[in-house]
Amino acid sequence: MLAIDARDVEKTFRGGAIRRRLTHALRGVSLAVERGAIVGLLGPNGAGKTTLLSICATLLTADRGSLTVLGLDARTDARAVRQRLNMASGNASFLWNLRPPEILAFYGRLYGLTGARLRRRVEELLETFELIEHRRAPYNELSTGLKQRLALAKSLVNDPELLFLDEPTLGLDPDVAARLRRHIASLRSSRGTTIVLTTHYMREAEELCDEIAFIKAGRILARGSAADLKRQIGIGEVVALRIDPGLTDVLSAAPGVLRCLVVNEWTECTVDVASERLPELLRLLYDKGAIVHAVALREPDLEQVFVELAR
Amino acid sequence: MSWRADRGWRFERGWRPESGWRREIAAVWAFTLRNFQMASRNVFLLFELFFWPVMGVATIGLMTRFLRLGREETSFVLIGQMAFSIVGTCQLDVAYAVLYDFWSKSLKHHFLAPIGIRHLTVGCWLVGILRGTLVCVLTAVLSWWAFRFNVLEAGVLPAATLLLGCFLTAWIVGVCVCVLIMVFGAPAETAAWASINLVLALSGIYYPVSTLPAPAAALADGIPLTYFLDAYRAHFGFAPEHGAPIVTGLALSIVYIGLSHWALAVSVQRARRSGLLLKMSE
Repeated sequence: MLAIDARDVEKTFRGGAIRRRLTHALRGVSLAVERGAIVGLLGPNGAGKTTLLSICATLLTADRGSLTVLGLDARTDARAVRQRLNMASGNASFLWNLRPPEILAFYGRLYGLTGARLRRRVEELLETFELIEHRRAPYNELSTGLKQRLALAKSLVNDPELLFLDEPTLGLDPDVAARLRRHIASLRSSRGTTIVLTTHYMREAEELCDEIAFIKAGRILARGSAADLKRQIGIGEVVALRIDPGLTDVLSAAPGVLRCLVVNEWTECTVDVASERLPELLRLLYDKGAIVHAVALREPDLEQVFVELAR
Repeated sequence: MSWRADRGWRFERGWRPESGWRREIAAVWAFTLRNFQMASRNVFLLFELFFWPVMGVATIGLMTRFLRLGREETSFVLIGQMAFSIVGTCQLDVAYAVLYDFWSKSLKHHFLAPIGIRHLTVGCWLVGILRGTLVCVLTAVLSWWAFRFNVLEAGVLPAATLLLGCFLTAWIVGVCVCVLIMVFGAPAETAAWASINLVLALSGIYYPVSTLPAPAAALADGIPLTYFLDAYRAHFGFAPEHGAPIVTGLALSIVYIGLSHWALAVSVQRARRSGLLLKMSE
């Protein structure tokens, strides 16, 4: 069953009072997200990731196309959809004077929580995100990490079936970001929450997401698991060699070698099919009298896929 | 070290939100409580509550002494000054429904939640009523103590009706300010303070509406507060300028409340379409 079924979604922003500017943010995007999945939206700045996320969260309306969220039409049943989803972003902000429990209680009431149940939920969220010792601090006195944790806590106040995370670890220290990622993963495993997130961190996408959609210039260029994407892009595999002498020029000219770089002590050759090219490269090196100290095969990482697609 | 979430989530599953009137009250109360919390921690809001109203009554009252105005004229002017303070304070609270979140860039969180425009405006209006009532009591006590003007001289009901008129006008103006902000963003921010002065100048706070130039007087006839002031001043010996002022004032208020809320709903929808809602939250 699908949590999100977006078909041919288009969005154009109009700007400029005198000279009209049109920005085509989405150009016929289709996206299907299974319930309980974690899906990542990747792409360069201005690709349309946040626009797509915001349309799915009913914060923006699409110009064209159809959108069903949790089995409901996002346009005609928007309020019912909103009851069942929530969103947190890396640059989230709340009223500067309010304290964490007050912020959580405020949003809890908006989602229909009252009385003892509201108080219990607020306490649970404060405890879960270890915000209890900061309960007296006004929002503007919290650190970036605490603000981010509070934003995530707020996004869970209604126990959403569908959660949108817009660059949730933006600007966080690596250890805090790692903990936040564990939070996100545990949400799916323990609550069955469907999560759609945007990120610039490839490691985050690779670690968290079952599926990744790569967006550029308002279009989804590729989608699938991280491994699928690497295969789809066909950017080859890396044969890393520790050889003496380097012979980079010779290796670069060999059949099937896409490029050759020296990284530290390793000569890294990106080849089309490693299993076929490795024996040929070793034979060539033997013929040239080179000594091979070590050989390693590596898959390209998602970052290379990103760079390739973003070109 | 790990957060508790890594070790499993504790809170209950499968809860159902409140429905019907309990849900309505919860959403309205959310905004009431929020505005109250913000107001209670902001020194500038205390200025709105005490400093400006006291200064207004004191300066206008002293001016009436200098000009040697009679008892009726003094009452006329002081009634206007009190209405000015009450409407000004109350409408700001309604405008804060959007302004607080506009300033803190958190507007999108409201419109991500399953709430309606009415929850936003009614919740904030209730705090406006509370603060407006405090301003009314403060200025009434000062007017009586310093200038021997008794607000309740005409009776409790006429005073309460004027107060109701002030609150209704404030609600309408406040919602209109929210509409302007949702349509124009930051450039409309000054409307929160400027618009009320225009409305009050037209509704004849210090003078009868008949003294206004004809086009301005025609505009004044469209403002509910004009009628409520007219009705209240009639108890102090001034001939009413309009027939059935209270009924007209109430009828106009109902129409404007409906129209302004419709306009706010349309402006929010427009902001969702244009992306302004997101821009205001970044």
